[in-house]
Amino acid sequence: MLRRVVAILVVLACAGVVVAYQVSRPARAPADPRVFVPSPKFFQDFSPSFRTSIADAYYLIMVQYYGEHVAGDGKLDSLPAMVDLVTTLSPHFTRAYLFGAFALIDAGRADVAYTVLQRGFKENPGDWHFPAYLGFFAYRYGEGETKNLVAAQWYEKAAAIPGSPDYLPRLAAALLAKGGEEEKAILMWGQAYLAGDKYARKKAVEGLERVLPKEKEARMRALAPLYETMPEADANALIAELFKAYVQ
Amino acid sequence: MTEPSALQIGGLRKTVHVGFRRRAVEILKGVDLRVAENDVFGLLGPNGAGKTTTVKVALGLMRPSAGTVELGVDGLSHVGYLPENPYFYDYLSGREFLGFCARLFGLDAGTRGDRVESLLRDVGLEAAAGTHLRKYSKGMLQRIGIAQALVNDPELVLLDEPMTGLDPIGRVEVKRIIESLHERGKTVLFNSHILSDVHELCTRIAIMREGRVIWTGSVDEALAEAPTLEDFFMQVVTA
Amino acid sequence: MNQIAAIAVNTFKETIRDRVLAVIVVFALIMIVGGLWLGSISLGEQGRMMKDFGLVAVTFFGLIVAVFVAAGLVHKEVEKRTVFVLFSKPVSRAAFITGKFIGLCGTMAAVLAGMGVFLFLLVWAVAGDASGMTLVAVLMIYVQLLAVMAVTIFFSTLGSAILASVLGICVYVAGQLSHNVLSLTRLGKNAVTEALSWVVYVIIPNFSAVDVKAGVVGEDTLAWGQVALWTGYLLAYVVVVLALAALVFRRKEF
Repeated sequence: MLRRVVAILVVLACAGVVVAYQVSRPARAPADPRVFVPSPKFFQDFSPSFRTSIADAYYLIMVQYYGEHVAGDGKLDSLPAMVDLVTTLSPHFTRAYLFGAFALIDAGRADVAYTVLQRGFKENPGDWHFPAYLGFFAYRYGEGETKNLVAAQWYEKAAAIPGSPDYLPRLAAALLAKGGEEEKAILMWGQAYLAGDKYARKKAVEGLERVLPKEKEARMRALAPLYETMPEADANALIAELFKAYVQ
Repeated sequence: MTEPSALQIGGLRKTVHVGFRRRAVEILKGVDLRVAENDVFGLLGPNGAGKTTTVKVALGLMRPSAGTVELGVDGLSHVGYLPENPYFYDYLSGREFLGFCARLFGLDAGTRGDRVESLLRDVGLEAAAGTHLRKYSKGMLQRIGIAQALVNDPELVLLDEPMTGLDPIGRVEVKRIIESLHERGKTVLFNSHILSDVHELCTRIAIMREGRVIWTGSVDEALAEAPTLEDFFMQVVTA
Repeated sequence: MNQIAAIAVNTFKETIRDRVLAVIVVFALIMIVGGLWLGSISLGEQGRMMKDFGLVAVTFFGLIVAVFVAAGLVHKEVEKRTVFVLFSKPVSRAAFITGKFIGLCGTMAAVLAGMGVFLFLLVWAVAGDASGMTLVAVLMIYVQLLAVMAVTIFFSTLGSAILASVLGICVYVAGQLSHNVLSLTRLGKNAVTEALSWVVYVIIPNFSAVDVKAGVVGEDTLAWGQVALWTGYLLAYVVVVLALAALVFRRKEF
């Protein structure tokens, strides 16, 4: 009986040591801004059947890595390699590109984010998210005179993809106008007018009002190219709206 | 005119290679043996004499290095075999195991069921038929082993140490089974160390030593030369 | 035929009644449920994570069952001398190997079906985007594991069970790298190495030709023709390996 009690106590003591050791370690090892990220080629060569599983595992690691550093030291040195690994192994993993791109902004690497999204669009040409985000990135982080036009081009591409939301042509049109491309902006507002509901049409009219000349004849001339691209009924309705003020 | 043979072995040799250096060991050095139909034949000999190997070669479990083996029956479908210290599938019940053996002989479902039940009765395992073999005692395993050897109603039955592990009642039952096989015109060959059983059951015996058959004859012939079978056996193997 | 069926049924009973198998399956189910946690930290990719990691668990535990059970099957019969009972009856060695393999196929089917349906239902209940592709992927994993089982049985006729298990796993890994061996053949620097690479490439099963998991997570569109061809190839591979196993086993004495 005594021996059994002693044995149980020894085992319990050992269990206590095991738990105490682990608990007494720092709860989390200090986060390292640089971690080893293997090359995608390595996994493509050595585990082709587990390609997506490895991509998913690294996606989770990437999310954790971002979370650990963004609120801490802010150093995200290995993030570009991680995004590259995940998206190369799983080129259709949309969320990995988008999350990666935004995380890369926090890492101060807008250039890499832009390239990542471009690669994502190349791999997934049917997904409007990529050109839409590229437009946003070009507008927000681009530099120089032409950034509005570059952004507008991306929004145009996004708007052309079936299933894309109807605010995209409006963004494109507004940016075209801002970039000085009034003619293109007018055509784009026309597209926005056609694609949308009552609200979208109202916004399109407002947009056109901003970009069109105030003088009646000039306004007529500016609208001529648009008139040719629209169905007659819609075109007439739009003209009526835009010339309301001139009728009286 | 001699009776037809159930098993005829001539000049049988068997060499095996053992160890890393593949050292050749000759287990059988020219065995000659003839078991006539309806014999109850006792194959005797000290440990390592080559009795089990002879039986294994006869069944095709081992290939002969030289010599001939002729079964007097039409293939293994008409042979029953109980290995020494048998071990069976312990995850099966006695009934399942016999059913499995019957299926290996290609018996149809109806015949199989009847045959299994009657064998379970014959070996006294009716009550334990549904129990898994892992719960069987050594004696029960020996009995189920005998039952599986008889499942195809064989013409030739080879039993390797059938009495091992049996209690006195079990031994009597096995003896009764062997006698009934003999009565039904079957041929039985068995290895045994228990010479009293051999005396009781066998019509003919062969004594083996160091891979050869050194004496063959009837039990009566043996008893003509010594007062008991034990004495005769000792006389022959120590000569 | 009747004998093969008898041995197959017996093998199925033997393996399915093995408690170790139950433990492995329960562990696999726990791992699949563990996918829930991974999904929860994936920023809205619950379904994808559960499916992908669930299928990895199915593959991994299926491989363990395939390799360790297959390695023991033939070896145990020899070790425990139950072969005496079998081969003293009119049972051919080929029938024995075939029956053993078919029985194990049944067990593996039961194990993978259990894990696959569990995964499917879990994804359906939690993430709501369960697709039949998950079950197709489990089927393809099954076909791969059949080849692993056949190879392991072959090795178990040659040597010990542990060796057979280790070699079975090695062949699975080598099969994943099949295309790398193919690239070796293209180096073309040395005729002997090239010929040797071709031999190795043909001998090891090609598991890297189709990525079934990628199809499930919407990564690749599976070309059904390719999948059918690959399945046919693996089944043919199984037949060849089993024939070799039977040939080796024919020479065996007990």
